[in-house]
Amino acid sequence: MDIRVRNIVKDYGRTAALEGVSLDIASGELVALLGPSGSGKTTLLRIIAGLDVPTSGQVFFGEEDASHTPVQDRNVGFVFQSYALFKHMTVLENIGFGLSVRDGKTRPSAGEIRRRSMELLDLVQLSGLEKRYPGQLSGGQRQRVALARALAVEPRVLLLDEPFGALDAKVRKDLRRWLREIHERTGHTTVFVTHDQDEALELADRVAVLNHGKIEQIGTPDTIYDRPETPFVFRFIGESHAVPVMVHDGKVWLAGQPILMAAGGLSEGPAALHLRPHDVEFAAHAGDALPARILSVRRSGPTRRAEIRLSDVEAVFEIDAPAALTVKPGEERPVRILRGRVFPV
Amino acid sequence: MSDSPLRAVAPPLVPSATLTRAASTVRLRPATEDPPVLKYVLIAVAVLFLALFLVLPLVAVFVEAFRKGAEAYWTSLQDEDAVAAIKLTLTVAAIAVPVNIVFGIAAAWCIAKFEFPGKSLLVSLIDLPFSVSPVVAGLVYVLLFGAQGLMGPTMKAYGIEVIFAVPGIVLATIFVTLPFVARELIPLMEEQGTTDEEAALSLGAGGLKTFMRVTLPNIKWGLLYGVLLCNARAMGEFGAVSVVSGHIRGVTNTMPLQVEVLYNEYNAVAAFTIASLLALLALVTLALKALLEWRYADEIAGTHRR
Repeated sequence: MDIRVRNIVKDYGRTAALEGVSLDIASGELVALLGPSGSGKTTLLRIIAGLDVPTSGQVFFGEEDASHTPVQDRNVGFVFQSYALFKHMTVLENIGFGLSVRDGKTRPSAGEIRRRSMELLDLVQLSGLEKRYPGQLSGGQRQRVALARALAVEPRVLLLDEPFGALDAKVRKDLRRWLREIHERTGHTTVFVTHDQDEALELADRVAVLNHGKIEQIGTPDTIYDRPETPFVFRFIGESHAVPVMVHDGKVWLAGQPILMAAGGLSEGPAALHLRPHDVEFAAHAGDALPARILSVRRSGPTRRAEIRLSDVEAVFEIDAPAALTVKPGEERPVRILRGRVFPV
Repeated sequence: MSDSPLRAVAPPLVPSATLTRAASTVRLRPATEDPPVLKYVLIAVAVLFLALFLVLPLVAVFVEAFRKGAEAYWTSLQDEDAVAAIKLTLTVAAIAVPVNIVFGIAAAWCIAKFEFPGKSLLVSLIDLPFSVSPVVAGLVYVLLFGAQGLMGPTMKAYGIEVIFAVPGIVLATIFVTLPFVARELIPLMEEQGTTDEEAALSLGAGGLKTFMRVTLPNIKWGLLYGVLLCNARAMGEFGAVSVVSGHIRGVTNTMPLQVEVLYNEYNAVAAFTIASLLALLALVTLALKALLEWRYADEIAGTHRR
C-alpha cells in the first residue's frame, strides 16, 4: 500500500511542529524519517498513523483519503518507542490482541488467533516464550513482541517510532539486520523514525531528513550521503566541519588559493566549505597544498584522527589519516582538500 | 581525608599498618548500616508505640465487648436497633463505594490523560474532603437541604427528606470518602500515560474494549486498594454523618452513631459489641490488603514497571 502525505501542517499552540510536509512512499518501500529531537519526525509518524490530528493537510493510503479515518480503522501497525506491551497479558495474548478485539463477524476463532499468533512468534524468533509476561523479557525480546503484535492485524503499513532507541549498541545492530530481513520477507510498506543516521542509512531504501518541521531532503542513502542539498543535511549525516571560503570568478578560494572545486551556481562572495574528515589528506610536499598545524592526534578505529588548524585562516577541522602515518601535535604539515560541498552563507 | 569512606568499605585493598589496626578495634560495616544499639532502640520504640496506641485499644474493645460473656455479646448483637444500624451502615457503604469508584476512575482519567485549564485546581478540590473537618461537611448538607436550607423546602415539596434521613447520610458519606479512589488512581494513571491505550486503539480496539481490556487491568490493584480504604471509611465515618442523621434509633443510626448512643447510656457491653464489629472490619480490611499484596506481589510490581 503506497502512502501519500500532502502539505501536513501541525501547530502546537504557538510553535509549529510541522510546516507543510509532503512525502510519497511507494508500496513495499522502507523509509526512514531522520532528524534531531524536535524536528517533527515522530509527529509526522503519529499523523500517518492517526494518533495525532494535523492542523491541515491530508494523508492518502493508496487512493483512499484517510485524513478523517480514526486510528482504529486505519489498519496500521504501530510499534511504540517504549513498546507499550500489555503487562498483564502473556506474549501470546499480546500478539493476538488485535485479532481478539475485532467485532463478531470479522473475528477469527480462538484457535485461529492462537495459530496465527504462534506463526508470528516464530517469525520474530521467539518460539517457546509464548507464556511469558512482558516483564520477564529482555529489551530486544519486547521489541520483537511489539513488532509481532503490530504485524498480527495484517496492517496496510508498518510504522515504527525509534524502534531501537532503548536498546544497547550490540542488540541494535542485530535487530537492524533482522528488521531488514523481516521487511524483505513480509514486504510491508514501512516507515520508521530515528535520530541515528547510521541506522537510517543502513536500513532504509530512502531517507527523509527533517529539521524544524520541514523535510530538508529525501533520497536514497547514497544521495543523502554523497550529495547533501543543504548544510543541515551535510552536518547531520556524519561528521563535518565548515571552513569559510570566497567565491570569485567561478572558482572557490580558500586562504587566497583557488581549490579544486567548481563554484557552479554559487553567487560571488563569502560561502562555507563543508568537509568530512576523509575529504582532506596530508600532502607530501607543500606545492598546491595548504599550510596547516596539527593540534592533536587521536586513534580512531582503523585510522588516526588529527585535529588541524589552517595557518592562514581561522579554521579548525579534523582529518582521517592512515594509522601508519605518524604525525605529532605541534607539527606543521600541508594538507590537500580532495572534495567537499560549498554552500552559500 | 576525602577517600576515607571508600577505604572503610574495602579495607583489604589498602593493607596499610594504621588501617589494619583500625580494623581490629572498630568493627567495619556498610556505610548505610547503623550501630546495633541504635537499631534495637529504634525497634523497641516502634514496637512500644504500636502496642500502646494500636494493639492495646484494639484488645480493649474486644475485652469490653465480652466482659459479660459471649451470650451477652450475642444478645446485644441481635438487638433490633443494632441490626438496623448494621443494615443501614451496609446500605450506605453499598451506595457510597460504587459512586466513589465511578467518580474516582472518571476524575483520575481526566486528570491523568488530558491537559486542560484549571486542572491543578481540580486536583486540590478532590483533596478538600480530607482537609475539611467532617462536622463542617455535615453542616454544609444541613444548610443546603435542611428545613430552612437553600434546597430544603423544594425537596420537601417533592416529598424527599434529606436531612435526618438516609439520603443525607449517604450524601455526607460520599462527600467524606470522595478522594479515596481518585487519590489512589491519579499518580498510577499519570505514571502509565496513554501509550498503552494508543497501542490498543492502533490495533483496532474501540473505546470500551480499550478501557475494559487495557486501562482497567492496568489500574486494578490501585483501584482495589482505594475501594478497601473507601469502604472502611464509609462504614466508620462518624462526624459528618452525626450532623445529618438526627440520631433516630433504628432508622438513621449507623454503627458508629449507635456505639455513641449506647455508650452514653452506660450500656458498655452493647456499645463495645458494635465497636468490635467495626474493629473487625478494620482487621479484615488490613488482612485483605496484606493478602492481595502478598498473593499478587509480582503483578503489582509489574504494573509499576515500564
